[in-house]
Amino acid sequence: MAQPRISAYLPPDIDPTKAALAFGRRALPKLNEELQSPELLTQQRALMALCDLVHDPEKVYQAIALGFLDSLKTLLVHQDQTVRQKTTEVLSVMALHSIGRDGLIRSGVISALAGLLDDPVDICRKNTHQVFDMLAKLPAGAGGVLRAGLIPPLVLKLKTELDEIQELILDTLSNCLRVEVSEALAAGAITVLKEKLLHPSTAIRSKAAWVLLEISSHAEGKIAVCEEEVIPVLVSLLEDTQPQVPANSAGALMFALVTPQGRSSAMGAEAIPPLLTLVAEETSKARLNAIKTLTLLAELPEGRKTLLNHRDTFQQCLDDPSEAVQRAAEIAITVIDWKP
Amino acid sequence: EVKRRKRAQKLVAKKLTQEQIRPGTPEPVEGREHVSVQTELYLEEISDRIIEIDGECQTDEFLDRPPTPLFIPAKTGKDVATQIEEGELFDFDIEVTPMLEVLVGKTVEQALLEVMEEEELAQLWSHQRAFAELRNAEFAELQRLEEQDRRIREEKERRRLEHLEKLRKQKETAEKIAARAFAQRYLADLIPSVFNNLYDSGFFYDPVERDIETEFLPWLMSEVEETLQKKVLGRTMLDSLIRMVVENRLDEFSRPPPSDQTEAPAEEPRTTDAAPQVSGEADAADQPVAEEEETEQPVAEEEETEQPVAEEEETE
Repeated sequence: MAQPRISAYLPPDIDPTKAALAFGRRALPKLNEELQSPELLTQQRALMALCDLVHDPEKVYQAIALGFLDSLKTLLVHQDQTVRQKTTEVLSVMALHSIGRDGLIRSGVISALAGLLDDPVDICRKNTHQVFDMLAKLPAGAGGVLRAGLIPPLVLKLKTELDEIQELILDTLSNCLRVEVSEALAAGAITVLKEKLLHPSTAIRSKAAWVLLEISSHAEGKIAVCEEEVIPVLVSLLEDTQPQVPANSAGALMFALVTPQGRSSAMGAEAIPPLLTLVAEETSKARLNAIKTLTLLAELPEGRKTLLNHRDTFQQCLDDPSEAVQRAAEIAITVIDWKP
Repeated sequence: EVKRRKRAQKLVAKKLTQEQIRPGTPEPVEGREHVSVQTELYLEEISDRIIEIDGECQTDEFLDRPPTPLFIPAKTGKDVATQIEEGELFDFDIEVTPMLEVLVGKTVEQALLEVMEEEELAQLWSHQRAFAELRNAEFAELQRLEEQDRRIREEKERRRLEHLEKLRKQKETAEKIAARAFAQRYLADLIPSVFNNLYDSGFFYDPVERDIETEFLPWLMSEVEETLQKKVLGRTMLDSLIRMVVENRLDEFSRPPPSDQTEAPAEEPRTTDAAPQVSGEADAADQPVAEEEETEQPVAEEEETEQPVAEEEETE
């Protein structure tokens, strides 16, 4: 009679491209040894097997404890492209787990991966950027990326890379620039981002707006944004049809308008009507950001005059289910009603 | 016999050749002995012609080989038949259920896990996104308030400075006014007091009076001085005369008894008194004082002195 128990292991030699796994605890150490062997085929097969194993968090923990990362680092600069591709894939899957991220940051894989930014193979670069992206979501990882001096090369790559890699780069940049912005400004990030704001792809536009938001949350970023006259472009993006883009550009405006020059340039670009339409929509994601931006504009005398007419729009916002929107609407009404 | 000899010769020749070629048979091993053997009995005659016998044979024409007949072994044992009907051995549907369950279950479970993981991830992302939005909004609010605060502070500072400036100017103005009022008051008296002072110090003078004062009186004083000097001169001369007379008399009276000594000391104080009296009289203001001092002196001296004065005045 057939037993209903199914083994966790696949039948042997079902995939000839993968190395055979030793049983139990011995699997990973044996793979480690195979990775260091001089034969190319052994290395490739070991990497294929490792790729599948690394989806399991326990295996990731074990692998890092065994010191896999050092052998993987040496393999990153291998001549064979399959080896490099699979190594980067292994690293990107490891970066999906928190233990993997910690291990990657601690063992300094970031600087080793920096050399792969110019790799001729697309997949290697994509995996590399995926690793950076996942690592940058941690504050320690963002610090690591900044310390490795990766921001200027990343900004340069934005101009030349493929679209999906550009999205990953924009995500990485947004997380890193939350921490520190001076290097990016020195590398001329704002000019590049201004072009990306007009990119045909929605995702790239929204992510570029998000990066600008992070940049303008710093003081020097605000000044640079006003100087480069990004504000009119952002205002034009407020009328975009995709929901994500106006939300992010309203957020970027929210930060950039804190400075007086920002406010005057926004008034010059007539930002109030599109912002009001965004606020009026009930389910818009941009509501919160739009309300905050209008609050900033209401501190100007001209803005206050215009917004006094639209006070009831803000009254409607007070009924919004989200608490943050309610609070923002109250603050906006207070600012509009303020008399000197 | 010839043949035998020939053979023997051949054999000997062979042996010789063999003996020449080979070194000779080795010595026999211990326990053994070499025996020479003659194989004459076993010799055969070698001849060229072989004994031949002719024979004949002939095969038949080719015929096909008939097929081998089937080998059917003899039947042994009992014949038994068996047939497995459907459903007798096992019920496929029932048996397959657990396996199918496991297979499908595992697959579905794996799929569910993956979907749940993806959902969880999507939830986490949306949660993070919401948090990020909230954080950004709060951060923007913070920056707006900071900006507002900065502006208000700057405004306050400016106003404060303005106010200070205003107060300072006010104070200055008040001080100026006070100083002006004070100066006015102070100087109000100035003109009368100046005039008074000037008047007191003699700037406003009656020319005649002035003239009299500046010219007449000094002349008068100098004249008076001259007159008094003359008087003094007269008196001094008189004193010297008196002195001379007295000295003469003293000389004269020193010879006689000392009854004249009372006169001499009386005269001596007279002369000494006359000298200060004369110097006293030089000053017109001190005259009554000197006279008071000399109240003890006999009035005769005054008369005496007055007499020469009267005489001098008469002479003048």
